[in-house]
Amino acid sequence: EDAAEESNVSAELIAQRKRLVDEWNAWRIRAKEELAADRSRSGKKPAPKEKPKEEEAKE
Amino acid sequence: MRPILLQGHERSLTQIKFNREGDLLFSCSKDHVINVWFTHNGERLGTYDGHNGTVWTLDVDTQTRFLVSGSADNTLRLWDIQSGKCLYKWEFPTAVKRVAFSEDDDQVVCVTEQRMGYQGAIRVFNINREGDGRDQSPEPVSFFNPTGSKAVVCAFAHIPSLILTGHESGKVALFDAKTGEEVNSNQRAHMDLITDIQLSPDRSYFITSSKDKTARIHDTRTLMVIKTFTTETPLNSAALAPKKPYVLLGGGQDAMSVTTTSLRQGKFETRFWHKIFEEEVGRVKGHFGPVNTIAVSPNGDCYASGGEDGFVRVHHFDESYFRAKPYGDLEIED
Repeated sequence: EDAAEESNVSAELIAQRKRLVDEWNAWRIRAKEELAADRSRSGKKPAPKEKPKEEEAKE
Repeated sequence: MRPILLQGHERSLTQIKFNREGDLLFSCSKDHVINVWFTHNGERLGTYDGHNGTVWTLDVDTQTRFLVSGSADNTLRLWDIQSGKCLYKWEFPTAVKRVAFSEDDDQVVCVTEQRMGYQGAIRVFNINREGDGRDQSPEPVSFFNPTGSKAVVCAFAHIPSLILTGHESGKVALFDAKTGEEVNSNQRAHMDLITDIQLSPDRSYFITSSKDKTARIHDTRTLMVIKTFTTETPLNSAALAPKKPYVLLGGGQDAMSVTTTSLRQGKFETRFWHKIFEEEVGRVKGHFGPVNTIAVSPNGDCYASGGEDGFVRVHHFDESYFRAKPYGDLEIED
């Protein structure tokens, strides 16, 4: 079903979507780097802690 | 997608929020009550009684230990989630319209309403997590009055020394949490009242909804608009779906459909939009009045909507939702 739908999408639209995703990904990578820099300047860990719960509970 | 109807509130919902694990959903309402529900079956686990007015807002810490709530009774309250007891109460001259925990759970920021000779204010409180939680300082660590258009929603930004705000005029801004100085703003983020603000897990971007019928994704550092989702109805809430490139929008009904649909038919919808292509991908009907608040579980397996109709609807995504790649195999960064 999905495959059938995809084949109807024009090459132009596919190119357009590829461009939008590339732009988004480029922005995300840049934003993550800038975020890491800001956070290290403010004394924070580079990324939000994934599973801090158990560790903090033990302390 | 099978919906679970959460029945228990007697008036319209104002805000809903999942805990970090997504197994519990907290809801507050104009009926003065806060409820907590099991997400998997919709059973009510408990209530938090005490507010004497509309509860406008709530937030849950990352450990599911403390809950904060803000109300039209001019109080901000800290609750023990497990026992349901109110641990502390801060009183203000006006209503509390929005509260949010910091990433580390050690601070809370709130916005109070501008009214009768009182300016709208932002306050930050330290939360003492030692002991039973009853030993809190009555004084904020920071207090300031944003000038210009009043702030209506707020949160801690990508670094906890900055407060992110959304304003009545449609402005978004960043304030220094200590000095109250406005360090950045985007005056034209929206053209009308901002109704909701929700951040990405790493807080590097956020989504806003507005009465101007659009929702927008912004870069938190620069406040630049990255994406715009243009609908036909004033929006009350916008949420980011983790792990899928979707945003969920909720609000009123299309002006066009108002004359043809009845309030009794449950036609008010949550709209799914593709986050990157800015295209609508689907709608989920169900509410009998405008959708006031939407939340997506942090693990991305379900979402909930709270309506003007007094109902909360929880939707667990089908397996097909996770398999679906409606736009092919493009890899999208979180």
